[in-house]
Amino acid sequence: MIWLIVLPLVWASLAFILGPGRGKWLAIGGLALQTVLAFDLATKIGAGGTAVGHLVGGWGAPLGIDLAADGLSAAMLLLTQCIALPLAVYASAYYKRDDAAGSYFWPLAGFLIAGLNALFLSADLFNIYVTLELLGLAAVGLVAAGGGAQQVAAALRYLFATLVGSALYLLGVALIYGAYGTVSISVLTPLVTSEAPRLVWIAGGLMLIGLMLKTALWPFHFWLPPAHGGAPAPVSALLSALVVKASFYLILRLWIGPFAPLIAAAEWLAWLPAALGTLAIFWGSWQAIRAERLKMLIAYSTVAQLGYLFLIFPLLAGAGAIQAGVMQVFAHGLAKAAIFAAAGVLIKATGQDTIAGLAGAVNRVPLTLFTFGLAGMTLMGLPPSSGFLAKWQIIEAALAQGHWPLAVIVLAGGLLAAVYVFRVLRQAFLLAPRNEEATAVSPLLEWPAFVLAAASILLGLRGVELMQLVGIVA
Amino acid sequence: MKRFVMGLGALAFAALLIGALLEPLPVSVDLRAAVTNNMASSGVEHPVTAVLLNFRGYDTLLEIAVLLLALIVILAVGIDTASDQPRTVNPILQTLARVAAPLVIVVAVYLLWAGAFRPGGAFQAGAVLAAAAVLLHLTGLLPSWQVPTRTLRWGLTAGFLIFLAVAAGLLSQGALLHYPPAQAGMLILLIEAGLTISLGLILAGLFLLLSREPGDDA
Repeated sequence: MIWLIVLPLVWASLAFILGPGRGKWLAIGGLALQTVLAFDLATKIGAGGTAVGHLVGGWGAPLGIDLAADGLSAAMLLLTQCIALPLAVYASAYYKRDDAAGSYFWPLAGFLIAGLNALFLSADLFNIYVTLELLGLAAVGLVAAGGGAQQVAAALRYLFATLVGSALYLLGVALIYGAYGTVSISVLTPLVTSEAPRLVWIAGGLMLIGLMLKTALWPFHFWLPPAHGGAPAPVSALLSALVVKASFYLILRLWIGPFAPLIAAAEWLAWLPAALGTLAIFWGSWQAIRAERLKMLIAYSTVAQLGYLFLIFPLLAGAGAIQAGVMQVFAHGLAKAAIFAAAGVLIKATGQDTIAGLAGAVNRVPLTLFTFGLAGMTLMGLPPSSGFLAKWQIIEAALAQGHWPLAVIVLAGGLLAAVYVFRVLRQAFLLAPRNEEATAVSPLLEWPAFVLAAASILLGLRGVELMQLVGIVA
Repeated sequence: MKRFVMGLGALAFAALLIGALLEPLPVSVDLRAAVTNNMASSGVEHPVTAVLLNFRGYDTLLEIAVLLLALIVILAVGIDTASDQPRTVNPILQTLARVAAPLVIVVAVYLLWAGAFRPGGAFQAGAVLAAAAVLLHLTGLLPSWQVPTRTLRWGLTAGFLIFLAVAAGLLSQGALLHYPPAQAGMLILLIEAGLTISLGLILAGLFLLLSREPGDDA
């Protein structure tokens, strides 16, 4: 499992040495190998039924740094590699030779993937901070790369948000270290009790706010639409599908891990993220329905879809809530990567990025429209997609615990998603005069997007294995 | 008004934090004892170096990646090529810089070597090297870097790759960065030597890549 961290670091560095715009074969090869490793790790944990660990340096916590992978980590690792590999193929066709935006894409993407994998494997609060920095800086670089003034401005705003988020998290870690003298999660967990001093409460609050800022939960979403909507399509896909999920994973990990005794002492706390998530669903969907530009619509849809993730917090006491959250992470990750990739194709094919200008697109890029429709199904939560499974599980857990308002919110969110997805599809199916010159689009752009969208649907049929894997929480 | 509210908020937060810090703290883990007990097998004699390169060497490995990444981000954002003419400078300053540069390199090597048993090490030595490069640049002896050549890219990355190679090579000992106690000192010195050069180049690059000649607006 250590190679999941080492490999991307190696190909990222080598791609940098090779020079601007080079290294795509290294990246695709490395990612293919990582995908095999991630599958291997998931099967091992699934078969063994227990978490696996690695003591870096052989010291062991609290002196050294521990790495640990349970079912939750393995699932996130699997998702990361499975989304990154098709997107790497997509990006290799997306960036033209001598494209300034693509000059440093491969090293930056490599460090981004390394940061994600290291984050999912880490069991040490300070080490997690370092991985957050790696992740955040790489993401900002990808957004800013070779862009115009507007894109750099969006990247700076993103940099500001991610740095403030990291700083709040680090302050929390410092307070925890001051209180308990350790930053290892495994050592910390038995020490934190419901009678913890106020310092620990403040630390937990700071870390939660910092991570919410990084996850772009409403009202901290202000940085997301310009950053994700303005970046090149492969970057938007990576950021929306994976990067915001990393900080969500961390919130969940800390919530059910070391801070569980604090939450148990104040159960109303769980309704705070759920309330913000609800507002995110409605606000994000509304903005998506009103958006003029295609990529802004998709970016606001991300704001809305992230909201569902936070609905699970009041349900964590019962069964199935974590599984529902992870299923939503998978559904949204795969679907949003597919939809951003498809949007990139649509923009290349029509030469512009407004929704109004999509008229007639169905005749030019039918496969991409099909991709968009499939991924849209997942976002709406229609059966048999994984999005349906995720929403079904949230509703089931909510009804089982008597929280029917949550079920209503999920259903209403699905309807709103249908409105903005059909807005795009309707426009694309309109007949348009065929006098414009259609730009030919490489199949290497269309097929990876289709694979991701198909995966988001098919996962709905094979959800049981994933649920079992996620059930193995350390 | 806005400033007043912000100030009040910050003050309230500070008061809350101080109040919380005054509370008695629970029993905690004492890492100082663990560090002292394991110093003998760490391969170095200075506890800070032992923590940075051995006990928590993995953190340092990722931090080097962050520094390298910062430089790549600056390159990726793309800086309009500025004119590369040396500024008109005082010849006395240039002579002094020429004399100082070799001395600075000697200081850097000393700091690197001293890191094993007293405060010092790769970060400090790299920073001193970078200072020499900045000094040479400011006196007009070293042009600013526009697009790094392949040799320079190797130099920027070499320290990180050596560290990564040692870390991964030690997987044969059972874990990432698991130094055998007998060879730990030598391996740490190897890593630190590579890091000194690369960190020097990276830190200098953060300055030289962003450096503008006077009169440039870009």
